[in-house]
Amino acid sequence: MSAKGLRKLLLVGNPNVGKSVIFGYLTGKYATVSNYPGTTVEVSQGNALIGTHNYTVMDTPGVNSLLPMSEDEVVTRNIILNEEFDSIVQVADTKNLRRSLLITLQLSEMGVPFVMALNMADEAENLGISTDLASLSEKLGVDTFSTTATRRKGITKLMEAIPAPRRSVLTIRYTEDIEKAILAMEPLLPESRISRRSLALMLLGGDTSLKSWLHSRLDRADVDKLDAIVKGTQAQYSDSLGYQINKERLTVVDRVAVQTQTRLKKPERGVRRWLGDITMHPVWGLPVLIVVLGLMYEFVGVLGAGTMVNFMETQVFAKWINPYAIGFFQAVMPVNFLRELFVGPYGIVTMALTYAIAIVLPITATFFIAFGMLEDSGYLPRLAIMVNRIFKTIGLNGKAVLPMVLGLGCCTMATLTTRILETKKERIIVTFLLALAIPCSAQLGVIMGMLSSISPMATLIWVGVLVVVLFLAGYLASIIVPGDPSDFILELPPIRMPKLKNIFMKTIGRIEWYLKEAVPLFVLGTLILFTADKTMLLKLVEKAGSPIVVNLLGLPPKTTEAFLIGFLRRDYGAAGLFTMQKAGLLTPVQVLVSVVTITLFVPCIAQFFVTIKERGMKTAVIMLCIVFPFAVLTGAVLNFGLNAFGITLQ
Amino acid sequence: MFENKACDPNLCNTEVTIDEFLEEIWLAEESGGKAEKAAMFVDAGLAKDTERANAILHQMKKDGFVSLHDGKDAAFTDKGRERAKKLIRRKRLAEKLLAEVFALGADEIKTTACQFEHILSPEVTDSVCSFLGHPPTCPHGKHIPQGDCCNKLAQQMKPLVTPLTDLQPGNRAKIVFIAPKDHSRMDRLSTLGIVPGTIIHLHQKKPALVIRSGETELALDIEIANEIYVKIME
Repeated sequence: MSAKGLRKLLLVGNPNVGKSVIFGYLTGKYATVSNYPGTTVEVSQGNALIGTHNYTVMDTPGVNSLLPMSEDEVVTRNIILNEEFDSIVQVADTKNLRRSLLITLQLSEMGVPFVMALNMADEAENLGISTDLASLSEKLGVDTFSTTATRRKGITKLMEAIPAPRRSVLTIRYTEDIEKAILAMEPLLPESRISRRSLALMLLGGDTSLKSWLHSRLDRADVDKLDAIVKGTQAQYSDSLGYQINKERLTVVDRVAVQTQTRLKKPERGVRRWLGDITMHPVWGLPVLIVVLGLMYEFVGVLGAGTMVNFMETQVFAKWINPYAIGFFQAVMPVNFLRELFVGPYGIVTMALTYAIAIVLPITATFFIAFGMLEDSGYLPRLAIMVNRIFKTIGLNGKAVLPMVLGLGCCTMATLTTRILETKKERIIVTFLLALAIPCSAQLGVIMGMLSSISPMATLIWVGVLVVVLFLAGYLASIIVPGDPSDFILELPPIRMPKLKNIFMKTIGRIEWYLKEAVPLFVLGTLILFTADKTMLLKLVEKAGSPIVVNLLGLPPKTTEAFLIGFLRRDYGAAGLFTMQKAGLLTPVQVLVSVVTITLFVPCIAQFFVTIKERGMKTAVIMLCIVFPFAVLTGAVLNFGLNAFGITLQ
Repeated sequence: MFENKACDPNLCNTEVTIDEFLEEIWLAEESGGKAEKAAMFVDAGLAKDTERANAILHQMKKDGFVSLHDGKDAAFTDKGRERAKKLIRRKRLAEKLLAEVFALGADEIKTTACQFEHILSPEVTDSVCSFLGHPPTCPHGKHIPQGDCCNKLAQQMKPLVTPLTDLQPGNRAKIVFIAPKDHSRMDRLSTLGIVPGTIIHLHQKKPALVIRSGETELALDIEIANEIYVKIME
């Protein structure tokens, strides 16, 4: 307990067992709740009043074992190892008790005090699974509670027990060789918040993430001795010791699970099961995917990018805000220069805010709502199964579908999500493809608007070019980038009806993030254009860019402006093209060429910064140096191709 | 859990004792140590009858199975190692057979396997090995030395244990062993509850393999499923 009397509580458990919901309930602050394994990469913290005590609550990343095998698991293990906590709530999935008990057993071995919440009790009940809580509590030696966090059931009782957690009495004796090794290792290990036995088991299990922690606490000689014991013990086994240890743990755990849980009835094959099955069916999965994409298009493309943008642009901004703003600035701002800064052709209100709020916001908002539904419904992992094969050709596996689909919303956010991928190779490839070929929703909305007004052939060519570029670039990247792809082992959560409140909270959070990130850049971009325009620099840049823009791409010189701001944000650039098209400055062929080029164009500033942060400066710059020429070259090839074949798209 | 020591020869049979000694040396080699004579005698239950034990050991030396260093540590000759390898193979295959097929308890497995190891003929050993799908490890996780049948992957006998990919959707099966390329894959699967003994239900094989174990549903690559060996359940 810290000096201020603020206690600390950790939430620990498998992925997708509802930790975040319990966290939100305890702290009042909402963390991302999602079905896709591994989205809680960052640790959320919040404050809660439990009983008469104030607690800091930490929501740790989901783990399947405290013998860490992924970054997430390292984080959680390190929190338990290093944080000065007073209590742990282990959140378990009632219907998957066996896997939760694997963690319980490890908490028990660590000797840390905890209480256990058997969550998702409603789902277990529907499956006819009944749990003898009294017997379970007795066997474990800790208090166990049945909860349904989404309906706030059982939480009050759980909260009452949090201030008085107990140490579990569940124990296990391993094979003689392992026990012998533990005995030899214990005296060498340092004192810490968790038992020496548990540390020894982690080391035996092949955990290398403890190395630096050990080195900071022990002599080199002792660390070497520990190493020697681990190596000596492992040498006697052809299976890995980690596997052997887990195998033996599962035998103990299975016994507890069998003794405390019974299946009262055979589960009926409900609608949700059926839905879950057809969404990953080798044949029916495809039509389902098409329907899902179709619905998304209707919602984001037609409602968001069409109806809502139209209303915001032609009604809210054109009729209400802009005339009012122009009137206002004309009244209070006598200097023409400053007035134009706000309401001129490159004005902050008339250009930056109009683009950001009227054109881009409705599209992003509808996309995030749709994406939230996909996440919470449990469809995304099934989609990962459907695309697994195809993704293999570009050095990835199905798991990469999450950042790729999210990239259709916002590539910056998606670049952050590449953390869920297991190998460096996969992260680099996905980051690269996000920078090159995945248009974000803002851009997508504008582009769809532009393409829909010319022949459908144009849309087909645009999609075709993108798909070819995506797979060609991905295939090349998979050859060039060194390293191995990771195993495709993916847990599928059951299909669930998304809770509207969750979606709402998540969408609000994402929009907030988006506004904070995008609007300043829109304003900055406008300021640059404004300055360039006033200083005649714009004309110069247009002239300098014209060999590329006019000769290679066959576009009017003014499009340089759009590409110039495209360096800040591709969607902002696209919006510039959109206005030009509306003003009748572009032929259909020019529309298609410019749209293809801007889609492939350099990532926006924010995405570039995140790429630097996640992948390092060198990789980010190399990507930029590939993406820019690639985009222009593709545009040029398309331009010459269309002209050579006399395709006018009229 | 199980014991990993050599068997206790109650029978006063020289052949059996020779086998016991060979086994002791094998286990010592496996754990990277040396087979000390004194320890061997104790483990073989001959601590009190060192005269006989020494006599047998010298006979083994004469027969070209072992060499003695400093009169204290015993080590294999090539001939001795070859015989020990077959012996260990018989014992561990027997353990696997008893554990997987007859689902015997740890004690029964130990005593029965100890008898099997001395009596299985080479043909029967290979049949058991094929029947079990050429398992790489015994129930205790120790290596089973390969025989000729493993290299030929003889399929004459319909194996009881098959790769998961050979099942049809809808089949229920029990995992017998997992033989992955790398250790981390094994570790990952085990934290998801996929270990020998786990009962799984194969849901579909395309576009990716989906299995269900309890209420956990997992999608796997075909390559991974190929390394999971199962026994079909009715």
